[in-house]
Amino acid sequence: MTTPEEVSEDVLDETTVSVVVADDHPMWRDAVARDLTDAGFNVVATADDGHSAVNRTLATRPDVLVLDLNLPGLRGDQVCAAIVTAQIPTRVLILSASAEQRDVLEAVKVGATGYLLKSAGREEFLDAVRATARGKPVFTPGLAGLVLGEFRRLAAEPRRKDGREVPELTGREIEVLKLVATGMSYKQIGAHLFISHRTVQNHVQNTLNKLQLHNRIELVRFAIAKGLDTPT
Amino acid sequence: MREFRVNRGGTAAVEPTVVTALWSGLGLFRPIAWLYAVYSAYVRHQDIARPWLAWVVLGVLGAWTLGMVLYRTRNTWVVGIELALACVAIMSTRLVDTAEVIAGGAKTLPGFWPAAAVLAWAVLKGWRGGMLAAFCVGVADLLEVGVPNENTINNIVILVLLGGCIGYCANLSRDGHAALSEALRVQAEVRERDRLARTVHDGVLQTLSYIHRRGLDMGGESRELGSMAADQERLLRALVSSVSAPDLDAVVGGDVDLRTLLGRYAEGAVNVIPPAEPVLVARRVADELAAAVSAALDNVRRHAGAEAQAWVLIEERGEDVTVTIRDNGVGVPAGRLAEAAASGRMGVANSIRRRMSDLGGTSIIDSRPGAGTCLELTVSKKQLSS
Repeated sequence: MTTPEEVSEDVLDETTVSVVVADDHPMWRDAVARDLTDAGFNVVATADDGHSAVNRTLATRPDVLVLDLNLPGLRGDQVCAAIVTAQIPTRVLILSASAEQRDVLEAVKVGATGYLLKSAGREEFLDAVRATARGKPVFTPGLAGLVLGEFRRLAAEPRRKDGREVPELTGREIEVLKLVATGMSYKQIGAHLFISHRTVQNHVQNTLNKLQLHNRIELVRFAIAKGLDTPT
Repeated sequence: MREFRVNRGGTAAVEPTVVTALWSGLGLFRPIAWLYAVYSAYVRHQDIARPWLAWVVLGVLGAWTLGMVLYRTRNTWVVGIELALACVAIMSTRLVDTAEVIAGGAKTLPGFWPAAAVLAWAVLKGWRGGMLAAFCVGVADLLEVGVPNENTINNIVILVLLGGCIGYCANLSRDGHAALSEALRVQAEVRERDRLARTVHDGVLQTLSYIHRRGLDMGGESRELGSMAADQERLLRALVSSVSAPDLDAVVGGDVDLRTLLGRYAEGAVNVIPPAEPVLVARRVADELAAAVSAALDNVRRHAGAEAQAWVLIEERGEDVTVTIRDNGVGVPAGRLAEAAASGRMGVANSIRRRMSDLGGTSIIDSRPGAGTCLELTVSKKQLSS
């Protein structure tokens, strides 16, 4: 039996999903764009450096930006930040050959909702683009490990004097993240914990929201502390 | 100023500044000591039994002293000859002076010139060399005087202390220099690796992942080629992944980044999931964890089935570190674990458990048929004293 929501997901029309591909490697950029076009996605633009990635995304307002983290001009997290600040509906999927965990985490903290290694297969990649278009985070085990690690790091930090709140995960959220990080699918986790896979999905989404919210609050605090909020 | 060439143990080495300064000081000391010996002999030339011999000996020492100013190589031969000259010069006092004068506590012919030989040994060979040379000169002194007087003993003690102290100083300075060179070498290596990593990342890694992906798409033999490319990509990425400042601190502090250590186990069917920041643990803890993970992965390969994948999650939890190894293999039916433990057939699980409890840590194993096996290891990052 399927819920109405699932039905609507299943009939998601690829031709209505617009995508911008940003990668400085021509071979990769073309291959990714071709795969997307072949699968019926609407590739509205491609970009080969950070600045054009931002400009073209802002101009075309696609559903998904497929972003390589190592673009010349702007760092991956700067591109993500620029798109999030512009408040357009575009969601960012990171497709990276990089093993640089820190870069990935920074990009996710400022608003990217998915991360996939370039070594992923084509079907896995297309599924990730579909999920991102639907607003669902693409949580590979690697990304779950990074997010979990970041919360562990925040929890281990000494209590701040100003009593600032450090975001914490619930016991269940930690449990779910750990299972995602050790390679379990949402369905398997659901069966394992006796909850629906949709609940699993919500837990995962929550962890990401908490992290991004915390990061945004930190940025605002930083801006206020530096007097950046007052117009001059 | 010309450099001293030093040949130690067959290889020409760059000497630290302090050692070079010691050689320069010694170069100044030798002529002064020689002039003083000549002056002393001249002042008492009327008491000397065989003045011609005294001048011959002092002439030879003078020639050597001059030679050492011009000839800048210092090796075992040079300091050996100098020590022999010093001892012979001391012994020649017996022929130069009458027995009464010697018994009366007269100075030896070369005065404190032999100290130069002791210092040369100390600077070249360290404290052992310095003390050995001081011992030789001391023996020559004793043979010369026959019945030692207060001055003889005094001089020998001073020589031994001098040889030992200067030699120790030379040792320390060389060790410090070696450590500094090593640090500079590591730094240069890191910089070079960064540069390589950038280059490789832009080209080779991208191409390898591209081949992997296309290979998977095309299927058949291309699939095999693709997975070969993926293997090489992963190895290469591990090789060029940059060494950061915390890693260098870890080298100095003796701690190990668990991410690097366990990252080596990543391959086609094994995924290592690290956090973004280095996980620094004591060397022994890291080695035991690595051995436990290796044993667990071997077990997965043997028992979980050919299609099984494994995930190794590394978590830092305050003072503890947790490593979770899960596979999606066939798993173990409920009760089988307990049964195996009861009959003592849990070789791998037991050895892992022992490793962890030796470190004051814990291991939890959980397995169900069809759902794979999950092993969770938790241990303190710092080694507990047992």
